Amino acid sequence: MHISDGVLPLSVTIGGYVASGTLAAWSARRTHQEELPKLAVMTAAFFVASLIHVPFGPTSVHLILPGLTGALLGPSAFLAVALGLLLQSLLFQFGGLTALGANALMMGLPALACGWVFQKFKGRTIMHQAVTGGLVGALGTALAAVILAVLLATGGEDFFGVAQIALLAHVPVIIVEGLVSAFTIGFLARVKPELLQPPYLRPRKAAHA
Amino acid sequence: MPEPHSIALPLWQLPVLVFVPLSVLVALGIGLHRFVRRRSAPGEERDWSVPPLAYGAGTSPLHRWDVRCKIVTILVYSFMIVSLAHLTPALAAVAVSLLVLVVARASLVKVLMRLLAITGFVGMFFVVMPLTAPVHPGDTVVIFGGLKWLGFNLRGLQLAATIAAKAVAITLLMEPLLSTAPLPVTLHGLSRLGAPEIIGQMVLLSYRYLHVFRHEARRMSSGMRVRGFRKRTDLQTLRAVANFLGMLFVRSFERTERVFDAMRARGYRGRFPEPDAPPMTAKDLVLAAVWLLVGTALVAGDRITW
Repeated sequence: MHISDGVLPLSVTIGGYVASGTLAAWSARRTHQEELPKLAVMTAAFFVASLIHVPFGPTSVHLILPGLTGALLGPSAFLAVALGLLLQSLLFQFGGLTALGANALMMGLPALACGWVFQKFKGRTIMHQAVTGGLVGALGTALAAVILAVLLATGGEDFFGVAQIALLAHVPVIIVEGLVSAFTIGFLARVKPELLQPPYLRPRKAAHA
Repeated sequence: MPEPHSIALPLWQLPVLVFVPLSVLVALGIGLHRFVRRRSAPGEERDWSVPPLAYGAGTSPLHRWDVRCKIVTILVYSFMIVSLAHLTPALAAVAVSLLVLVVARASLVKVLMRLLAITGFVGMFFVVMPLTAPVHPGDTVVIFGGLKWLGFNLRGLQLAATIAAKAVAITLLMEPLLSTAPLPVTLHGLSRLGAPEIIGQMVLLSYRYLHVFRHEARRMSSGMRVRGFRKRTDLQTLRAVANFLGMLFVRSFERTERVFDAMRARGYRGRFPEPDAPPMTAKDLVLAAVWLLVGTALVAGDRITW
C-alpha cells in the first residue's frame, strides 16, 4: 500500500524527504560508484517483480518485496527502493509525489533491516537460507506495515481507525510474502548462490566471459 | 461546550443513503477502468501513462515553459496544497488543477488512469473515516435506526473529502508536469537544479529496463500458462511464483552485466549526451511567480477560519 498525496501532514512529508534523502545518500556511498547504473537496472527487475499478483482466496495480493530487496542488495537496497518508488509515483501514480519521502522510508528501512538480518543469520545450507529468507520476507512486510500505520497515525486521532485497517490489510501479504521469499531464496541458493553473498555490487572479476 | 449533534434516521434509509451511492460510485469506477483500458490498449500491450521518450514539441504554455521553473513551481505548489486543512480551499485547488490540465492539453485517458490508481487508497479513507473518527463536541453524527455503533460522523466524512480533494488536485498536476516535456529533458532539468547527475541517469536506465523486464516476465508467464500452470490459493502456486521471481532475478541480473558491457563498449563514461537547454527567460519566471501566488492565496484562504 502506497501513501498518496494529501494524507500526511506537511511536516511529516518534508521530514520524510529529509530522512530518506539522507539515507539514499548513505546508501549510494556504500555502493561502488561505477555500479550505480547496474543498480538502476536491477531496480527495474524488482519493480517488475512487485507487479506480480498472487491469488489469496477471492482476492489477490501483490508482493512488495522489501525483504528480498534487502537480502539481495544489502546497503544498496535503500537507493533501489527509493528509485523504484520514484518511478512508480511518476509513471503509475502509485504513491504521491509529496509522500515519496515517507513511502521510501516505509519500504526502505525494512529493506535495510532485512538485509542485515539475512546476512547475519543466513547460515550455510540451502534449507537454512530459505528459512531465514522466509522469516526476513515476512519481517520486511510486517515492518513496512507498522511504519505505514505509524505514519498514518501522525495525522492525529482521526486517523487511528485508518491506520488500524491498513495494518490488518497487511496480514495476508505478510503470510504470502514470507512463503514466496522462502521459496525464492531457496531457488537462488540452488541456482545462483553468488547473488546471496556480500559484498553486494562489486566490480566484476575479469574471468566472467 | 456544545454537545455532539446527532441525527436519527430510520433504518430503511441506510441502504438508500449509503449503499446505493456507494455501489453507483464503485460501478462508475469499474466502468471508467474498462473504458480507459479499451481506449489505451487498442490490441497492443498496455503502456499507459508512460511519458514518451521522444515527444514532438507541444505548443501549450506548459510545453514552452522552462523545465526548471516547471519542476520547482509544481513541487512547491504541491506542498502548499498538502498543507491545506479545509475542504473549500482544497476544492478550489482541484479547480486550479483542472484549469492547468486544459491549458496543458493533457491526454484525458492518461489523467483518468492516474486518478484510478489512487482510488483504492483514497476510497479507504471514505469508508473508514466516517465510522472511526472520534466524536468531538460540535460534531454531527448520523445514526440509522438506533444502531449506535454504526454512527456516521460527518466530520470524518468531511476530513476524508478534504484528503481526497488534495490528492486529486496534486495527481491532476502530474501529467502537466511530466508529459509536457520528454523524460530526459525533465531529468536534465532536475540535474541543472543541483540534483546529482547520477539520479537522472538511474531513472532513465530503470525506466528503460522496466519495459524490457516486463516483456521478459510476460514471456515467462505465457510459457508457464502453456504448460498448464493456473494460479490458485495453494502452496504449489506460491512455489511456482517464487521460482518465477528467482528466474526473473537471475535473468535480469545477468542481463545487467551485459547491458553495462554494451554501454561501456559504446563509450559510456558516466554520462549520457545532454539535451539542448534553452536559457530561462523573464516570461518563465513570471509564470512561476503567478502560479505560486495562487498557491499562497489558497494557503492564506485556508488559514482564515471558515
